[in-house]
Amino acid sequence: MILFFARRSARLCAPLSPSVVATLLVAFATITVEATARAQSADAGVEEPVSPPLVLEHVDPTYPSDAPSDPAHPSDVGLTVIIDAEGVVTDVQVFQSATAPFDDAAIAAVRKWTFTPAHRGDRAIKSKIRVAVHFTPPAPPAVAAPPVPEPAPVPTPPPAAAPAAKPASTATATVEGAADAVVDTAPAESESDTVHVVGRSTPPSRGASDFNLRVGDLSRVPRKNAAELLKLAPGILLTNEGGEGHAQQVFLRGFDAREGQDIEFSVDGVPINESGNLHANGYADTNFIIPELVTALRVVEGPFDPRQGNYAVAGSADYQLGLTKRGLTAKYTIGSFGTQRLLLTWGPAALDTHTFGGAEIYKTDGFGQNRDARRASAIGQYEGRVGERGTYRITAQAYTADYHSAGLLREDDYLAGRKGFYDTYDAAQGGQASRFSIAAAIETRAGKTTFQQQLFLIQRGMRVKENFTGYLLDVQEPTQQLHTQRGDLIDRDLSTTTIGGRGFARTRFTFLDLVQETEIGYYARYDATDAQQTRIQASNGAPYHLDVDLASKLADLGVYMDANLRPVKWVNLRGGVRADLFSFDVLNRCAATDVRKPSPLNPPGDASCLSQQDLGRYREPTQRQSTASMAVMPRAALLVGPFYDLQLSASYGHGVRSVDPTYVYQDVATPFASVDAYDLGAIYSRTLLGAALTARTVFFQTHVDKDLVFSETAGRNTLANGTTRTGWLAAARFTGAWFDESANVTFVRSTFDDTGLLVPYVPDAVVRSDTAVFANLPWSVGGDPLRGALSAGVTFVGRRALPYGERSTTIFTVDSSATVSWRGVEIGLEATNLLDRRYRLGEYNFTSDWQGQSQSSQPTVVPMRHFAAGAPRAVFATFALTWEGA
Amino acid sequence: MNRRSFALTLGVIAALTAACSGTTGSGRVTFNAYAAGPESIAIKGTYAFDNRQGFHVALTRAHLQVGGLFLSRVRPISTVRETACVTPGSYVAQVTNGLLVDLLDPAPQLFPGVGEGVIDHGLTGEVWLTGVRIDEDNDPTVIFDVAGIATKGADAFPFEGALTISQNRIVAPQDAALPGANPLCQQRIVTPIDTDVVPADGGSLTVRIDPAGIFQSVDFSQLVPGTGDAPLYRFLDKNEGQPDLNVMNGLRSRDAVYTFSFEGPH
Repeated sequence: MILFFARRSARLCAPLSPSVVATLLVAFATITVEATARAQSADAGVEEPVSPPLVLEHVDPTYPSDAPSDPAHPSDVGLTVIIDAEGVVTDVQVFQSATAPFDDAAIAAVRKWTFTPAHRGDRAIKSKIRVAVHFTPPAPPAVAAPPVPEPAPVPTPPPAAAPAAKPASTATATVEGAADAVVDTAPAESESDTVHVVGRSTPPSRGASDFNLRVGDLSRVPRKNAAELLKLAPGILLTNEGGEGHAQQVFLRGFDAREGQDIEFSVDGVPINESGNLHANGYADTNFIIPELVTALRVVEGPFDPRQGNYAVAGSADYQLGLTKRGLTAKYTIGSFGTQRLLLTWGPAALDTHTFGGAEIYKTDGFGQNRDARRASAIGQYEGRVGERGTYRITAQAYTADYHSAGLLREDDYLAGRKGFYDTYDAAQGGQASRFSIAAAIETRAGKTTFQQQLFLIQRGMRVKENFTGYLLDVQEPTQQLHTQRGDLIDRDLSTTTIGGRGFARTRFTFLDLVQETEIGYYARYDATDAQQTRIQASNGAPYHLDVDLASKLADLGVYMDANLRPVKWVNLRGGVRADLFSFDVLNRCAATDVRKPSPLNPPGDASCLSQQDLGRYREPTQRQSTASMAVMPRAALLVGPFYDLQLSASYGHGVRSVDPTYVYQDVATPFASVDAYDLGAIYSRTLLGAALTARTVFFQTHVDKDLVFSETAGRNTLANGTTRTGWLAAARFTGAWFDESANVTFVRSTFDDTGLLVPYVPDAVVRSDTAVFANLPWSVGGDPLRGALSAGVTFVGRRALPYGERSTTIFTVDSSATVSWRGVEIGLEATNLLDRRYRLGEYNFTSDWQGQSQSSQPTVVPMRHFAAGAPRAVFATFALTWEGA
Repeated sequence: MNRRSFALTLGVIAALTAACSGTTGSGRVTFNAYAAGPESIAIKGTYAFDNRQGFHVALTRAHLQVGGLFLSRVRPISTVRETACVTPGSYVAQVTNGLLVDLLDPAPQLFPGVGEGVIDHGLTGEVWLTGVRIDEDNDPTVIFDVAGIATKGADAFPFEGALTISQNRIVAPQDAALPGANPLCQQRIVTPIDTDVVPADGGSLTVRIDPAGIFQSVDFSQLVPGTGDAPLYRFLDKNEGQPDLNVMNGLRSRDAVYTFSFEGPH
């Protein structure tokens, strides 16, 4: 994805109509470059710089004589303008009406504009831009006032440079699929008609499994958190039995990535995965991200990009922040289960979308039992300029949450009526989470080389209490006093400080008359982690056993080389190699937990961490283990085309996942999990019926030498044997002036290499659709039209393989919303699980004993079906006010 | 449907079929569970046998409280058993609801509820003799209620007993460093019982209990006579004395008393 920052010096002017003070502002943001070179379209990634269309001639609209002329009520018309490769306006559509007279006047004027066409590299391409036309009624004659010159209309066409020199305005424009573009029409006489593209660039596409997902109008689809934005990528299933403050469990293309162990998560490059997290090494809690501040995601479903590092086994997901709705917005949501949310966002109109502030505070009682939650989150970012072609960003973030969790329920207890569908066994389940971070990034250019540096500092705290097995694991040890089962509640507490940075230098040069690129980069992070795990007695909440107590110092230093080579015009060879050195220094503060021959004179008793060896000889209870290992990861992608709007790709990548500190042994090479991924894909992009269509299909195969499989006794995923997954997906995005549709389907088969049996829990069929339609309604208030929008998110997940030859039930949910807006006011209604289907979000087969059947019945010790209940229908009302400001 | 649509449809069906087929192996099953006395009992309510102490024993009443049945995939490799009475992860079948079994009835007696398990080899059987949860400290339930007459030559020993397994069966730890070495649950669990069955859905698990094995080492002449006109000897409900100790050992005898079998669904 490419960021643009364009400056121009221009004054857009025209003789003023006596009846009009019309100011044309380029307010929008979305330039959809429906390039004839479709292969470089949004989702496919962009390998050449795209320059937006420039206005050559413009005609000012005439203020309609039959329109109201109340100065207190200016009118805005939003237009979608299609510009062909010749720079001619071929189509103008109204997407935001301000009543017919204004609409007609705006259309008539803009149809007369001429442009220099948008370009991709040296090639003129067709483009679509959005233009806002702002009508300000003529001021009434001032009595006894001195004559003043009539203000000039300032039609500031989009990302355009106007030929005339007049007071300019600032506008922003975003090239679809290259979010973050900033086209600045700031005045600089000497640079008139010059567009500088200096924004932040993102890596070129790695093939059909590289998804640059613009959120856009699909933000209207109800989503409880930022993690649900991942559903815009194919093959994603999210579950969560841990509560609202717990990270979502992600299944991706046949992987059970748990809470991020197999997906490298980041937000604008700042890592989210937590190294050394005892609950899950690589745990990625995205709940701190305010969904309204996410403009796009880059999801790479596989380790195909040398920039991807640790945890990129199933792939990676990078959230890109921004605030497109400028001004001050207050949004209040209230609804089912005592849920309330207050969101405040602020983005100065004069600054681009990357300067913003946002804060939310949220509470819910939750559905059923023990699902209450509270959280607060704030994110602020400022983007400034470095020289004329560089930018810097400073981002600060704070988040804290407290929640409870219902955990899992046994199906036999539910069917026997001993438990309700939304009940819980253990009300002590839940946790807390906090995250505070600050990051700074700078990107500059010198000649044909781009430099980027980023530093980040993250403080993370987390406590998770989960009980999967009830009263099963507290077996009597000979050295312990006699006891009954005290309960299996696991209490994990974690504190991590992460500091690190990343950067690259990318150089462009011409060879074979084609632009080539090379890049070298680095990634470095250091994690200092304190983690404890205790078992809690159900009867009184007292900890009775310390399972783990680790202090870890973990470092990861990676370097990579990447190249984007074009031997001929229709072939792109992209790839390189990455090498990471991981070092582990783990202090086990509970290293001695057992003695083979205890001394009667110094009995170990019930202590968890011992200071003795056999026969009572003293030893320190701590022990340090350290080791280091290196991983070398080649990655390559071959892209061919486009031919007739079709681009083909083949990708290969090797990735790794570092291990849990509990698996670290002195001087024993760290047993990485390694993945090899292969993709064959095709992307088809074109304009269809005036809308942008991108469709793709991918065949993929992935092999992991040490997979992770859920262990109920450990309460997390643990290492298992090698697995292979083979599958196919199809995805499409269809975006028009009044609708936005994204749909995807994924089929995958995941098997263990040694037995050929299916990998349990991962979904083999996932279908998802996100739809939004929006248009002006046939009613106006005060001359301004009402605008309506409807959205729906539909999820279908096939019957997942479960242990012991079983299959889960299917998941089918529909979420929907309806909003009506007028000026800066918006009211909305959202419903999740609209059909109120009683479904099981997660299902597991394992052994547990909840002592629930009867007082005399014995512990259950064979696997039983467990499930995490999906949420019933919930309805929320939303009220939002926006003050756009200056 | 044109050729392209047909190919696409075919591809989707192929992908769907490939993705949604296969198994993770094994399977969960439910079955009925039964307990019964020896098949050799001709008339319900009476059972006679000779024991190794030279007594001819005729039982007129024998009820055993079975708290649960369990099958494990782990075959013990030594006589030293784990302290833990329950070893999660090793079981292939369970019957968790108790049944008071009439040992003088050769007909299978159905346990309440169903047994549950997985398709795997059960190599070790466990019979839990308890009226409460296995790890409870106290159990007033009479586990073994027996009556009969033992004769040896001209001597006759009419007897009865009502045995419990509670604090009266606690075995004091021998090592002060191992206070938890002898949990009471160990006294309640009869294991390892050699077997080799594979549970199947809809099948029947049967444990046959031969009371003859319980009394093999009992010297009835050492029973304490009761008071009254007709002498009645009683087993004392404690681990003392040859007959009292040996009848309890007999209850916990592995192979001579309990036999598991599994019959598939008809």
